[in-house]
Amino acid sequence: MISMQGRWISKLSILFAGIGSVLMFAWPLLISSDSAAEADVAQVVFIALMPVMLTLVLVEIATGEIGSKQIALLGVLIALNAVIRLLGAGTAGIETAFFLIIIAGYVFGSGFGFLLGTGSLLVSALITGGVGPWLPFQMMAAGLIGIGAGLLPKFRSKKAKLAVLISYAVPASFGYGFLMTLWNWPFIAGTGSSLSYLAEAGIVENLIRFSQFQILTGGLIWDLGRAITTVLLIAITGGLLLATLQRAASKAGFVKPSTKEGASQTVARGF
Amino acid sequence: MAIVIALQDVTFGYLETERPSLNRVTLEFSSGEFALVCGATGSGKSTLLRILNGLAPHFTGGALSGSVFIDGQDVTGLKPHDLALQVGFVNQQPESSFVTDTVEQELVYGMEQLGFERLQMEQSLEKVAALLEISHLLEKPLSWLSGGQQQRVAIAAALAAGQRILLLDEPTSALDPEAAAEIVGVLKSLAHDHGITVILVEHRIERVIELVDSVVVVANDGLVTKGSYEQFENYHLVPPVIGISTKLGWNPVTVSVAQAKAKWDQRPAPWKPIVNDYLRSKIALDVSGLSVSYKDVNAVSDVSLQVHSGEIVALMGKNGSGKSSVLWAIQGGGKRDSGSVTTEFGDPNSLSAEEKLCVLTLVPQKAADLLFLNSLADELQESDKYAQQSEPATSRIFEAMAGRLDPKIHPRDLSAGQQLALVLALQLVKGAGIVLLDEPTRGLDYAAKRSLAKQIRTLRSDGKAVLVASHDVEFVALVADRVLEINQGRLVSNQDVQTALGVGASHPTQLSQISMEHGLLHLGQIEGQQR
Amino acid sequence: MAIFAGVSQNAVSQILVAILALGTIFLFREDAPWSRSVKFYLFLAAFVVVARVLFRIIFNIQNPDEPTALFLPGLSVNLGFGPAVQLFGEVSYQALADGTTDGLRLAAIILSVAMASSLANPRTLLKSTPSVLYEIASAVSVAINLAPQMILSLQRVRKARSLRGRSKGLGSLAGTVIPVLEDAIESSLSLAASMDARGFGRKGNLSAAQVWIARLSSLGAVALLSIGSFLVLVGESQLTGGLVIALGLVSSVVTVRIYSKSQIRTRFDRDKFRLLDGLLLGVSFALFIAAWGGWLS
Repeated sequence: MISMQGRWISKLSILFAGIGSVLMFAWPLLISSDSAAEADVAQVVFIALMPVMLTLVLVEIATGEIGSKQIALLGVLIALNAVIRLLGAGTAGIETAFFLIIIAGYVFGSGFGFLLGTGSLLVSALITGGVGPWLPFQMMAAGLIGIGAGLLPKFRSKKAKLAVLISYAVPASFGYGFLMTLWNWPFIAGTGSSLSYLAEAGIVENLIRFSQFQILTGGLIWDLGRAITTVLLIAITGGLLLATLQRAASKAGFVKPSTKEGASQTVARGF
Repeated sequence: MAIVIALQDVTFGYLETERPSLNRVTLEFSSGEFALVCGATGSGKSTLLRILNGLAPHFTGGALSGSVFIDGQDVTGLKPHDLALQVGFVNQQPESSFVTDTVEQELVYGMEQLGFERLQMEQSLEKVAALLEISHLLEKPLSWLSGGQQQRVAIAAALAAGQRILLLDEPTSALDPEAAAEIVGVLKSLAHDHGITVILVEHRIERVIELVDSVVVVANDGLVTKGSYEQFENYHLVPPVIGISTKLGWNPVTVSVAQAKAKWDQRPAPWKPIVNDYLRSKIALDVSGLSVSYKDVNAVSDVSLQVHSGEIVALMGKNGSGKSSVLWAIQGGGKRDSGSVTTEFGDPNSLSAEEKLCVLTLVPQKAADLLFLNSLADELQESDKYAQQSEPATSRIFEAMAGRLDPKIHPRDLSAGQQLALVLALQLVKGAGIVLLDEPTRGLDYAAKRSLAKQIRTLRSDGKAVLVASHDVEFVALVADRVLEINQGRLVSNQDVQTALGVGASHPTQLSQISMEHGLLHLGQIEGQQR
Repeated sequence: MAIFAGVSQNAVSQILVAILALGTIFLFREDAPWSRSVKFYLFLAAFVVVARVLFRIIFNIQNPDEPTALFLPGLSVNLGFGPAVQLFGEVSYQALADGTTDGLRLAAIILSVAMASSLANPRTLLKSTPSVLYEIASAVSVAINLAPQMILSLQRVRKARSLRGRSKGLGSLAGTVIPVLEDAIESSLSLAASMDARGFGRKGNLSAAQVWIARLSSLGAVALLSIGSFLVLVGESQLTGGLVIALGLVSSVVTVRIYSKSQIRTRFDRDKFRLLDGLLLGVSFALFIAAWGGWLS
């Protein structure tokens, strides 16, 4: 087994990866080169780099403690979430895929949340044939939501847990929307329109333009819809889902039992 | 015969406070041995199996002490993937253990994980496919195969890397009798012709008993004994063909119809006829001309039947003959293309979902589909609240069937029989007069089946009309007053139970085959030393 | 091919790429769910072009020097922050042309990706992922295999729900998702048992030194990529940024190689590298070089 020393390096890697990938999303805001052509290069380069970034994060997570139980559980949850996503697809703003990612990320941890987010989007794209240059970005964005969910504080009471999840769901939904609209922005608006990003401009001006873009193209409406759906779904199913996933977590060995046994003859013990 | 597996003083338990599932077990298995492991539901029989390849404790939790030896090496505590080269494992539902999507990929999966060379994989692939006679299926997607074929693939996949030990956990439970017999034959040949040690957990003992070399019995207190048929003198979860020996004190124990018949002919025992003492009052359910078709297939064609209050009618037929479709069409949740269904309150389709529950109720094949809360108490309370009953109506019904249980138990941790009782209670709380049951015996051992039969008979004495779909002959004999047989959507016969399952019928019970006496269908009719 | 399309500015070459991509798709398409969406991609590509042009028209920047194509009344929308947004106004030919080119560029990218995804069988793709991602790829392939089963499960449970006489709609959502989830969890355990019992999870050992190097190079890769991206965007020297990114890529490869050493698995499949694949790769590569050398811009 890969040794456990130096795990902090892994965490650091993941941190950097998070920052780096957000950069890859946010480049239109940050760009300040002179030539439009170079901006286009940047756009394309990032399309190629995002999968690399994804791979690196996946490698980091995968070389930790991942056994067949976790993989099988992951696979099953990905299948379920992909199907759930398809059920809600098509209708404006109804995004059903996130509530499970958030709840599962909260129960199983950031790594699992990331994998669930990434995997669900990948599989639902594969099933429907909707693979496009946006996919690695969607995957990363959903993965980031999963990571965030895993970092939320854990409480005892069910109400508190639900409250935390719901208050996370709102910024997470908008955050996802923010990232994806950011990515869409150069594609739809390009350069040369009154709402496009300006390569020469600074962050603030681009931010303003971006906000105008968001409002006028109805992006915010989608994000609102996503937030509402996710919050509703968490509120309705959260209590029961938390318990179910908690049980699965101990069965699948994510959680060490708190009881301490001192049997001297015990030769082998499974979680 | 070389000893391939040895257990020494093995103890296994889940919590410190409870009894251990296995208590100081010492056992041996030889190469080429075909062994049967049996025990009650919840006993350590599956655990015993899983200790042999490391799934216990690493997958199941719990604590193991003692030693396990395979081929002379101490393998205690090794993880399943360390033992994968020596031991193969096959589970109940082949579908849920398939990792890939075609037969060929599934067969090589194990070899890939174990790092075999390409050439070796090809050779082994050919060999194992020929062994299980699936060479012609290699390119096919797994989902296209029948249940029996899938189980063959699962067995082949478990043996592909040349494993010499094969463990199977109730491999025939999802198969119909013909497919089950085939698979058991394959297992026997693997053991006797190819020298593979085959260890099988099975509670449908009659399917394998004549073919095995040895019997291992796991008792509820964790003690394990290994021997031959004489074990059944003390073990009672057995089919009638064995149970009759215990009841009448025959020695040695009979394990086949032929043996039992010979014994019976020597000295038949006195028996009581079945008393149809139900109150045959009004017709509660009247179905006429029912037809259902899906796309181009006629699932149900022109079926007519009647069930009286206080009567139990069984609907028998193979898997896929249309039994479920009939039940769902009657209940109204399933498609109904033509025909009429009349109850005391009219056609169920004209009632709202809530009203329907006061009139008739259906328990589906997978009872657990209806459970979604986190504890037994929650489910019972929620049901009472929904039915606007003062507590604890549902609990009363449930306890009458299953006894008092820890209210904090998670519904999914209940046994199959207990889950069925729970769902039945949930469905009956509004006092429906008509009860429809779809294959309720799946997953139940003999004791649970007897207990279920008793519960259903209680329903009958309460005056309810019961329609049960089942292909389990022995169970139907315990329960039904009349038997309707359905084949490819058509009703082919409608007889009383003695005629339908007795001497000369197409599906006679074991006891009627043994005794050849009209009217003797099940063990309960015989006075004996033990029940 | 996608990169080339992104870099080139010329409309003609865009169309060329698009046609090439489409042609390949039509010629070599397999009948499978992931490939029948060619219409979808075409639609998307067309949509993008139209959207770009429309966008130019709506959010137009008036340029009085250019000949005007459309005379539209100008509008001004003030959103309460920032400068007022200019809408419509006189649209120049140039703007229209630019919009179309941009759109075409995008369309070409989309179609190239579409071509790749139509021709590739996801399962084969999964098999050829670097062995280090094997576990994740397993999860994904398990998910793909199980998805139809999930759908059946959902249908079966919904049917059973109706037996309890509960209302449909949002209220019964928990009652539907939970049983399916529980089933999924149970079957995941038996799946895991079946995988493990066949040897999944055996790992070779890496020396402590190797592990440290791998961890560090992974950290380095990620850090370098991030910094490089930042430089490319913000800094003046594209070259430095590019170099840093290149270094990051090298690091990534190192990481992957080291981790691969710890895998014991072998692969059985029989896919040969087909001639077609070679051809496609060759053409793409050629185009790439051409763009780099600036011959076709």
